[in-house]
Amino acid sequence: MGKVIVVTSGKGGVGKTTSTANLGTALALLGKTVVVVDADVGLRNLDIVMGLESRIVYTSMDVIEKQCELSKALVKDRRVDGLTLLAASQKNNKDDIQPEQMKTICDKLRSEHDFVLIDSPAGIERGFSNASAGADEAIVVTTPDVSAIRDADRIIGLLQHAGIEPINLVLNRFSPELVGNGSMMDQEDVLDILNIDLIGIVPEDTGVITSTNRGIPLVYEDASPGSQAYMRIARRLTGQRIPIPDLEQKGLLTNIVNWFRNR
Amino acid sequence: MANSNVALRAYRDGLHLIIRPHLSITEVEEAIQEEISRMNQPLGGASVQIDLKGPTLKPEEMAYLKSKLQETYNLKVRGIDTVDEQVPPPIAAAPTTHTLPQRTVPQQPRDTDPSRIIPYTIRSGQIEDFPQGSLVIYGDVNSGGEVRAGGDIVVLGALRGNAHAGLNNRPSAVIIAMELVPVQLQIGSFINRGPMNQKPRGYPEIARVGVEDVIIIEKFVKF
Repeated sequence: MGKVIVVTSGKGGVGKTTSTANLGTALALLGKTVVVVDADVGLRNLDIVMGLESRIVYTSMDVIEKQCELSKALVKDRRVDGLTLLAASQKNNKDDIQPEQMKTICDKLRSEHDFVLIDSPAGIERGFSNASAGADEAIVVTTPDVSAIRDADRIIGLLQHAGIEPINLVLNRFSPELVGNGSMMDQEDVLDILNIDLIGIVPEDTGVITSTNRGIPLVYEDASPGSQAYMRIARRLTGQRIPIPDLEQKGLLTNIVNWFRNR
Repeated sequence: MANSNVALRAYRDGLHLIIRPHLSITEVEEAIQEEISRMNQPLGGASVQIDLKGPTLKPEEMAYLKSKLQETYNLKVRGIDTVDEQVPPPIAAAPTTHTLPQRTVPQQPRDTDPSRIIPYTIRSGQIEDFPQGSLVIYGDVNSGGEVRAGGDIVVLGALRGNAHAGLNNRPSAVIIAMELVPVQLQIGSFINRGPMNQKPRGYPEIARVGVEDVIIIEKFVKF
């Protein structure tokens, strides 16, 4: 019996789809059976980021309309064992699916996989309620800026209201240099506001753009800092205890002050 | 609560002692005593400008007050300014929307209000509404969240969103928070924006309607 985890954020463009693709691939690389589900009906993207867009024949809509079996709609990723994608329909819109229908799909997938990751659309409307309908747990992705944090706060309130627990936070596009010179919120500020558990910090990594365009998730490359961060989060999801490294790079002045203070 | 009959304010040109109209000399004396004892700093040797809002004290009372300030508090009066705002006497006319309730209007006692305890954080998009009395929040009120109470609002955390105390037009209500960095505050019919880009000060603060009919924020020491 696996876990259904919804990856959500409220605000768009903070890295939900990138996080879903990378965490799904990373979990498969760790030997788990994983299905990533695109819940963004009408605006699907997960297939592109995963590099599987050319192989989609059936979508979750076809499963709901009983056009095909669920197992037939799952697209197998040939680069790694145990990873499949359930795509969203591009020609329908979010109101064509009911939360109960998503829940039925999630329940079936849960019984056959270790992890079911659901890529939620932005917003708090039907798309979000469909995406979270069958979820046991949630991962909230945010960037360290005030508008993303306010939206994440809203989403956390809704998830708590729906009884989804635990809710873990991924702090994405974190820039140690900007925190060091005081122009970005640090992790303590973010956690102070959102007050949920941090499961990982993903540093700003331009490799994400190229990997998205090529359809090869970052975690296939070992060296990139973003890839390492996603691998660590995947290990934490499997229950391993891995400390969150201190990514903050203190400014020169702070370092000098600390040096004097520590003497 | 700090009395609002007189207020000691530091302006660019020095200290100002603002006195409300229609008070007796004993009321003014008591209020000054209270206001000065509330300040935690010695004021000796400072000079002060007295601002009278409308008809207040007779000339001989004024002279008495000057000597009293000099002798008791070592405060030198550098000038007296009368800002005659044509405030009608309290009995002759109902107070306009922009005056504080006069002393003749009985203040509603706080201890008869019911209060509600909210044992969680108010997140963005959530509203906590309690027109019957006061709200106490064991958590934060985040940006995008809102708390509304007929009486006072006490946040035992950070107030980062909107708060409206004294819903039923009660300007005597106050808002207290361990970290007061709101988007917007309302007390009764008075409204004020929060401080822009304000870092938390590290001590609790209180917001209330001050003498000049604006919401003021100061360090919260005690009620």
